[in-house]
Amino acid sequence: MRPISRAVLRPYVCQTCRHGIGAGRRRFASQADSPDLYDVVCVGGGPAGLGLMAALRASPITSKLRVALIETQDLTKAQAWNLEPTQYSNRVSSLTPSSVAFLRQIGAYDHLDVDRVQDYQDMQVWDGQTGSRISFDWSMETSPFEDPRAVATMTENANLVRALLRRIAQSGDENLSLFSNSTVASIETGSDLKPEGPDLSAWPILSIKPTGPGESTPKRIAARLLVGADGINSPVRSFADISTHGWDYGRHGIVATLALGDLDIPPFPASKRTAYQRFLPALGGPIALLPLPNNNATLVWSTTPENAAYLKSLSTPSFLAMVNAAFRLDMTDLSYMMGMSSSSDISHQDELTWRTKHTVLPSQIPPPATAVQEGTVASFPLRFRHAAQYVSPRVALVGDAAHVIHPLAGQGLNLGLADVASLSKTIQYAVSHGMDVGDLLTLERYSSERYLPNAKIGGACDLLHKMYTVPGEGPVAWARSLGLGVVDRLPFVKSFLMKNAEGY
Amino acid sequence: MASLRGRTLARALRSTKQLRPTITSLTPPMNPTHQTRTHTSVSADELSHFSGLASSWWDPMGPSRILHLMNPLRHEFIASCLSEGTTEANPDPTSANLHYLDIGCGGGIFAESLARTIPSTPQSQAPTPTRAASMTAVDPSTDLINMAREHARMDPAVHAHLQDGRFRYLNTTLEDVLESKTGPVVEQAQAQAQYDVVTLFEVLEHIDPKTSSPLGFLSNCLRALKPGGWLIGSTISRTLPSFILNQVIAEAPWPIGVVPRGTHEWSKFVNPPEVKGWLQEGLMRAADTPTARGGAEQVKGMQWKCVGAIYIPGFGWKMVPGSEDYGNYFWAVRKGV
Repeated sequence: MRPISRAVLRPYVCQTCRHGIGAGRRRFASQADSPDLYDVVCVGGGPAGLGLMAALRASPITSKLRVALIETQDLTKAQAWNLEPTQYSNRVSSLTPSSVAFLRQIGAYDHLDVDRVQDYQDMQVWDGQTGSRISFDWSMETSPFEDPRAVATMTENANLVRALLRRIAQSGDENLSLFSNSTVASIETGSDLKPEGPDLSAWPILSIKPTGPGESTPKRIAARLLVGADGINSPVRSFADISTHGWDYGRHGIVATLALGDLDIPPFPASKRTAYQRFLPALGGPIALLPLPNNNATLVWSTTPENAAYLKSLSTPSFLAMVNAAFRLDMTDLSYMMGMSSSSDISHQDELTWRTKHTVLPSQIPPPATAVQEGTVASFPLRFRHAAQYVSPRVALVGDAAHVIHPLAGQGLNLGLADVASLSKTIQYAVSHGMDVGDLLTLERYSSERYLPNAKIGGACDLLHKMYTVPGEGPVAWARSLGLGVVDRLPFVKSFLMKNAEGY
Repeated sequence: MASLRGRTLARALRSTKQLRPTITSLTPPMNPTHQTRTHTSVSADELSHFSGLASSWWDPMGPSRILHLMNPLRHEFIASCLSEGTTEANPDPTSANLHYLDIGCGGGIFAESLARTIPSTPQSQAPTPTRAASMTAVDPSTDLINMAREHARMDPAVHAHLQDGRFRYLNTTLEDVLESKTGPVVEQAQAQAQYDVVTLFEVLEHIDPKTSSPLGFLSNCLRALKPGGWLIGSTISRTLPSFILNQVIAEAPWPIGVVPRGTHEWSKFVNPPEVKGWLQEGLMRAADTPTARGGAEQVKGMQWKCVGAIYIPGFGWKMVPGSEDYGNYFWAVRKGV
């Protein structure tokens, strides 16, 4: 907030007082020994932070920059990650084609284990209350004679992280420091190393401490540009004194890896895969089933914390019955089953079988879930956050540190990768034009490119969530089914929306 | 629209004019008392203009913001000039061996950004197409040079170049830079011509044609240039659209205006044909020696480039060929080999 507020306030503040306004961060000047200097220091080794490192290392313009990454977890372990071919992690993301294009461009996609990655070409979304439906595919953009284009690509986050780490390792270790198993003990502002040294009083200085037992002196590094890719409670954001706005949805997302049965009608062409999402207004959010290889799927079910606790307490057959019921039964039936006592004589499966007989099934439903991979049922709270700004002098925020959105459109990771693509492009521009990569004049290029698109997607997801949690047959239900119907029948509107969601 | 630093230079020109009778003789004769009075009053005006600006020179949201935004375009324009030829017979795009002189550097917006592209060791690869090996930046204002030095210390990479002498800020005038080369008169011309690129951004429009001579000044700039080198600058043309843009809109009160009031005087602006004319004459004068005069052959090898630049609020600067008459433009001249 500092420089902008300063500029705005200037006409109203007397000359002698102006010096005091910007001085806040300089009070914490530390001891005068000179720290190790880096051009870009990234805190956080998730997909966004590693994506930035990989992008900087991949470009010939920025590959000479001195870069560092700090991550609490063990990156060696993440790079050696390996699961049985039949097992899938429950932390899965859908990559839009533009994210895939970015990963290809920086050479990371080649390091992805493609046997664990699943494209899908069709997405069915419908309203459990009114039955109105919309389907997303690229058929209106492509000819019927070519292979259907992917709407998105499902990948486990661990697979993506491993690919990015391998890409970074491939670039060699010159000018690169990976501080794995390390935490940022403190971030302070540097000091003026008079008379011979440079003036680092505007540079962030990080103290890095290895995690785990054993005393060791923290390493001090100075960052020309400090990138916060350190998640929703970003320490970098607190250092830069950037506020964040938002709310908790009062919902939890349940995830699980499921094995599916066969479809009644086999898909055509045989390689075509479909993602399914059904809004359940009576239960507080949508349920989605997204395809993984070998007829597996990942489940994301957004619902109230009570329902989430209930679902997690169920036995595996009952949990599967609830998932299948959620894609098939009416809201009333579902609400009843959500309250069934687990100790009652009638099992959830029996109840589902009996109620299905008396229900008109929706036209496109996913194949029944037949098994849950052990240990994959988990839940996490859903939140909305948006930082007041993405940049401040020598600081930039990317990914969850800048924005956290509702997962109903599967856009969170894609927004983070789009941030990173934009920031790395900004850094390239700065380096090739003699600009300081940590200067606000450089960073404002990044924030002006990303702030509005992120706010737009985050806002759209928030609006969808709010519209589809209004239960019953009121005017909201009528309006949303009208809207969905109109969009589904107007191909140009639909393709506009899809391109927007894709990031083109 | 975007020029602040030239004022001190214009002031310096007027003062150096008195020191160098050869230049004074080029300008129309005038009443000495009148000249002194004008000179002192303008100096006071400029000093107060700058004491207000100096502290906010490097504030990205401050009154110099528009200049900061223009800076990347300068790099692009220089790169486009260098792609047409340099002082070297066979330019190597990867080696950083061009020596730059920035005249009227002010707070160092351009000088510092170019110094940042000087590789850490002279043998390293050039990171940008501007291929800078060294940068000498001069400005006659002590305040501004001190501030520029102070700001350069805030970037360790630039600071290192200040230490090893490949980046220099000199609180002096162009004439002193040329004068410091001593030696036999005949060899003096060669000693003066030591730069591959001389830059002159947003300076020309601050020279008052009534009291000082852009022609004499540009001749001196060309003297500092090696054969085949580029003199590159930017300025504002004196047309009706530029009057509306630069005087009415750009200096309007906040939030419409983007430069401080009193920065520009439309009557001092120069049109591309005027610059070109001065440069043609200047090339001949730069070749003058005490015994011989440079002739038309000096102009033959000259290359001239000119492209307009337009600022669109919210989008920034954009080079628009053909827009030279609407306001800001970049110009460049290459001395014949």
